[in-house]
Amino acid sequence: MINRRIPALLGTAALLSMSVAACAANTSEADSEGGSGGDTLEIVSWWTSGSEAAALQVLFDAVQEQDPGLDVVNAAVSGGGGSNAKQALNARLQAGDPPDSWQLHPDGELTSYVAGGNVADVSDLWEENGWAGQMPADLAALQQVDDAYYTVPVGVHRGNVLWTNPSVLDDAGVSIDAEDSLDDLVSALEEVDASGTTAVCLGDKDIFAAGQLLESIIISSIGPENWNGLFTGEYPFDSPDVRTAVETYGHLLELANSDHSALTWDEAALKMADGDCAVTLMGDWAYGELVNAGNEPSDDFAWVPFPSTQPTFVYVGDGFSLPADNISNEGAAELWLTTVMDPQVQTDFAVEKGSIPALSTADVSVLSDYQQSAAEDFQSLPIVSSLAHGQVTTAELSQEYADAVTAFNGNTNVDAFISTMAAAQQSQLD
Amino acid sequence: MTAPPTTGLAAPERAPGRGRGPRETFKHSKHTLARARHARLLFAPSLLISFFFVYLFIGTTLYISFSNWRIGTSRDLTLQSPWWSTYSKLAEEMRFQADIRNVVVFTVLFLAVAVIAGLVAALLIHHVAVGRGLFRAVFMLPYALSFIVTGVAWRWIFNPNTGVNEILRWFGIENPPGWTTDTSILLALNNPTGAGPLKIELGIPVALIPIVLAAAWQLMGFAMAIYLAGLGSIPEEHLEAAQLDGAGVWKRLRHVVLPQLKPSTITALVLLLHVALKMFDLVVAMSGSGPGFVTDVPGIYIYDYLGSRYDKASAASMVLLVMTLVFVVPYLIRSYRRGGDS
Repeated sequence: MINRRIPALLGTAALLSMSVAACAANTSEADSEGGSGGDTLEIVSWWTSGSEAAALQVLFDAVQEQDPGLDVVNAAVSGGGGSNAKQALNARLQAGDPPDSWQLHPDGELTSYVAGGNVADVSDLWEENGWAGQMPADLAALQQVDDAYYTVPVGVHRGNVLWTNPSVLDDAGVSIDAEDSLDDLVSALEEVDASGTTAVCLGDKDIFAAGQLLESIIISSIGPENWNGLFTGEYPFDSPDVRTAVETYGHLLELANSDHSALTWDEAALKMADGDCAVTLMGDWAYGELVNAGNEPSDDFAWVPFPSTQPTFVYVGDGFSLPADNISNEGAAELWLTTVMDPQVQTDFAVEKGSIPALSTADVSVLSDYQQSAAEDFQSLPIVSSLAHGQVTTAELSQEYADAVTAFNGNTNVDAFISTMAAAQQSQLD
Repeated sequence: MTAPPTTGLAAPERAPGRGRGPRETFKHSKHTLARARHARLLFAPSLLISFFFVYLFIGTTLYISFSNWRIGTSRDLTLQSPWWSTYSKLAEEMRFQADIRNVVVFTVLFLAVAVIAGLVAALLIHHVAVGRGLFRAVFMLPYALSFIVTGVAWRWIFNPNTGVNEILRWFGIENPPGWTTDTSILLALNNPTGAGPLKIELGIPVALIPIVLAAAWQLMGFAMAIYLAGLGSIPEEHLEAAQLDGAGVWKRLRHVVLPQLKPSTITALVLLLHVALKMFDLVVAMSGSGPGFVTDVPGIYIYDYLGSRYDKASAASMVLLVMTLVFVVPYLIRSYRRGGDS
């Protein structure tokens, strides 16, 4: 008798848990949508973790200072480096129910939204406020599609930073400089390996971490101009230099921790700071992760731009756009864009987020040593977009790159990687 | 618990004895006829809703898989030429080939482990007098967890440098497997050269084994519950009779208990099968796609391409749907027939 009751109990438990979940979802929605009844401004982003949420709050506070009656609705969706937020956003865009503004990467990702007719042309705002004159020309160009502006850059992250453990490098008797060639870097890492310590920490359970390492090597190998050429078809993926870069990446995989596919990028960064290996490549969001874990900058860890004979700034950008149609509160949405483009707001935002301001008129003296050095490079170096973060090209080619890297991590077949990417490049241009 | 779908509202009380089907009863009873009409009315709303929200959407997905709709937000409903080209490209893709291999291997291993472990647990609990409630709870508890929780915990258990490998090293095994980071394929049937259409090695990826174990750990309690219900319905007299005839424990199990548990086995297999085919969250939490897609499954593929290739994600969804139907439809037909004339 009791035995027969178990399935029924199971079913009841499942139903209960579902309804509880549904109730929870309902209340949070009701909380966020209810309010004073005044104007509301709904913002979709993927900033939910500690420093990100704090940085987003800086923007919300600033826009509410401009318009105290405004009710800001935080519709952030967590997880997956933004992929969950993008899924949620796409569903809303398809349903014709866009938020008032949403976070996106410029360049290739922006192009997808423009092609879908989803984002509004905000060139007038750019002209009125003279934003283009307040930032590097490369950066302004990346906010455009066909000479019109469709987004505003709120902050800038750097993708090609090599985080190093000074004591491990000292013990192996090597140093790594920004101006080193790829070969110098590889031989330094080989020496670390020979000294008995793992050379490279990698955590590519989420494949973008490996994609970012490989793209840094490719950019270092072919230079910024040819990097952009890969996505306009002016430079082929099957060129000898790209092949060499992929081979170098394969070699670095041999020098990396063997459990790299079981770790996440942040676990790899902490492993590096703990002295388990000499270097890890990651965007500068790793800085906050390292500091939050109690590591002292310059002491427990140091940084150097990924060595390259032609120093380059790999840009991972955060921006906001407005919907092309069905915007519920246009005035508030435009106020939102002008607020996030205020130099002081950008500085306050950068303090929390660990990024650097996009505007050169913003004060960087209050930022950390790392951020100041990055801001300096940002003003002087050529700027290119990241492929691993889906920024430089279409979502499809980015996904095919991620897949090709995943396949390569399994079979280390350089020919297969090159031919897959060359075919993907070709099909994007057709 | 596994009432066949036809024994819902529409089913009249069955006449006792074999050979008299329900249809006959329908003819003879005005009362049941009225009830059947009533039942149709009662069913109409749910049929309508499931038509719109299930079948219409399946149809839409099928259409999108033939169309040029690439980016989710920019609709393009023109048909590809030839219209099946998304499917033929999908079949050529190394990643999708790996996904199909993985989901088949995962499903077979997972069903075997979960069902056998569930059966053993049920037999033990049914026949051991001490601490029954406690053990039942212990085996059922994992089922209450979310796959994400299970995945995170088991990710650490099978981390090649911590977890279970520490124990293996303690036993003197020098080079324990890399588990989810391992790219080797056991019992490989072929060696792809890159020339043929098959781009993957067919066999059992070592990296899938930890995921099979985690999934089986979580769901064996479910199989156990089904078996416990089945064991409870085996008449005690059968066992006693067998015992009197001199059948030992093993013979009683083999010839009396197991045959009568067949319906429970089929129910457990079918219910766990669709869990296995749709596996997503556990793999995402535990290993992701894995190096060389050794742990990738169609669910992750669909998720990854949803934003960049709507048509391809839709086609992969249809393949997954067909794979599920291949197994579930015969079961439904079978239980429909049984519901009709048992």
